[in-house]
Amino acid sequence: MIKIILAAAAASSFALAANATAINICVEGAYPPFSSTEASGEVVGFDIDIANALAAEMGMEATMVKTDWDGIIPALLEGKCDAIIASMSITEDRKQVIDFSAKYYSSPASFLGADGMSVDMLDGKVVGVQRGTIHQDFMEGEFPNVELRLYGSQDEVYLDLTAGRIDAAMGDAIAMQDGFAKTDAGAGYSLFGPSYSVPEYHGEGEGVGVRQEDTELRDAFSAAILAIRASGEYAAINDKYFDIDIYGGE
Amino acid sequence: MQNLIEYAPLLARGALTTILLALAALALATALGGLGAAGKIRGGMLLRSLVFGYTTIVRGVPDLVLILLIYFGGQRLINIAGKAAGIEYMELSKFWAGVAAIGFIYGAYLTETFRGAYLTVPGGQREAAMSLGMRPLQVLRAVTLPQLVRFALPGYANVWQVLIKSTAVVSVIGLEDLVGLANDAGKSVREPFLFFSAVFFTYLFFTWVSQTIFNAAERRYALKELGDAV
Repeated sequence: MIKIILAAAAASSFALAANATAINICVEGAYPPFSSTEASGEVVGFDIDIANALAAEMGMEATMVKTDWDGIIPALLEGKCDAIIASMSITEDRKQVIDFSAKYYSSPASFLGADGMSVDMLDGKVVGVQRGTIHQDFMEGEFPNVELRLYGSQDEVYLDLTAGRIDAAMGDAIAMQDGFAKTDAGAGYSLFGPSYSVPEYHGEGEGVGVRQEDTELRDAFSAAILAIRASGEYAAINDKYFDIDIYGGE
Repeated sequence: MQNLIEYAPLLARGALTTILLALAALALATALGGLGAAGKIRGGMLLRSLVFGYTTIVRGVPDLVLILLIYFGGQRLINIAGKAAGIEYMELSKFWAGVAAIGFIYGAYLTETFRGAYLTVPGGQREAAMSLGMRPLQVLRAVTLPQLVRFALPGYANVWQVLIKSTAVVSVIGLEDLVGLANDAGKSVREPFLFFSAVFFTYLFFTWVSQTIFNAAERRYALKELGDAV
């Protein structure tokens, strides 16, 4: 069996060496509309379109490596991919282990709940967030009187919200608007309260994650983001998915 | 429902991965279990303590921990070894990492199953066969193994049922098995309940089929004349 692994490994490393401009990009595949899995098994969404556009801008051929969110940073660190484009927020904590390009989008955080909810009704209520996200840190820091419930993915948050196990959710405003509130499953639910964008928690937006030693790749991604902004390609992709420009402030 | 039909070929691919993974892991576990049982029964002091350590550690650690350890830890080892040897990057395949982890875990359980079955075969039968002039390998093949299979089958079937279910944990390393794909698809079309129901029935189907096979095997190895002899 070891022979098979080694043979397969040798074959794939040969393929890498033969095509120096190939780049493997870790994506999530379970975070619509940014990243979702099609019936063919293909991953599609805003993140994927951006990944392809950035790679093309850099003169590279991108291969999407679908990775579970919980394993996505280890996958980058162990070389299973060369970059993460998975709507990952740039934060100080993550910068301890990986490095980020400039943001490729930035969307505010918001609460989601049954129509008619408001922020002053939250005391003592149960709010769901995706585990290990900036939203968890934000809730723990700013809403200590709210009972937090943690989930492995954003969709589990929606499930328990409709099941009545939680009273509200905290998360990315665009993802919750497009991924839930606007859909059939989200009828009767809407975003409420202000849009939160606190740099201490929410960082500088969503960036491309790279290994810390790959500073050249990081700078190439940052430059490519500005280039597709300028060329109008970003706007074309953006308009495919969203009503507003999600890049946020320049 | 429309979504489920649309995604059916993808889920079927995932189900195939699950079955192949389970079968490959069972083959590895059977080999490890056979070696482990032989080591425990016939091995010297060192071998016996090695097998004892293997079964104790593995049976005491969650499957999920071992999978993550082998997949990410194994990749790190390969990377370090590769760097030392001057090789650029070698990918540890998700599939074989899953097979290695699950086979390694259930090999420990099968060690105990096989050892128990061996000890159930009365020692007097081996002695009788030896006294007839049969060589040790002949004794094993003609006398011990057929009975060992009979005693081991219920335990073996049990381990298989648990093993096929435990393949679900490989989805955390991103292997596109039945559970991993159903999870992604269910979230993508926002009908996780529907997709996990499909997974539920698929697993039930797998276990029902294997139960039928093992029942047939148990009948085949049962001693029919036992009733007459007693």
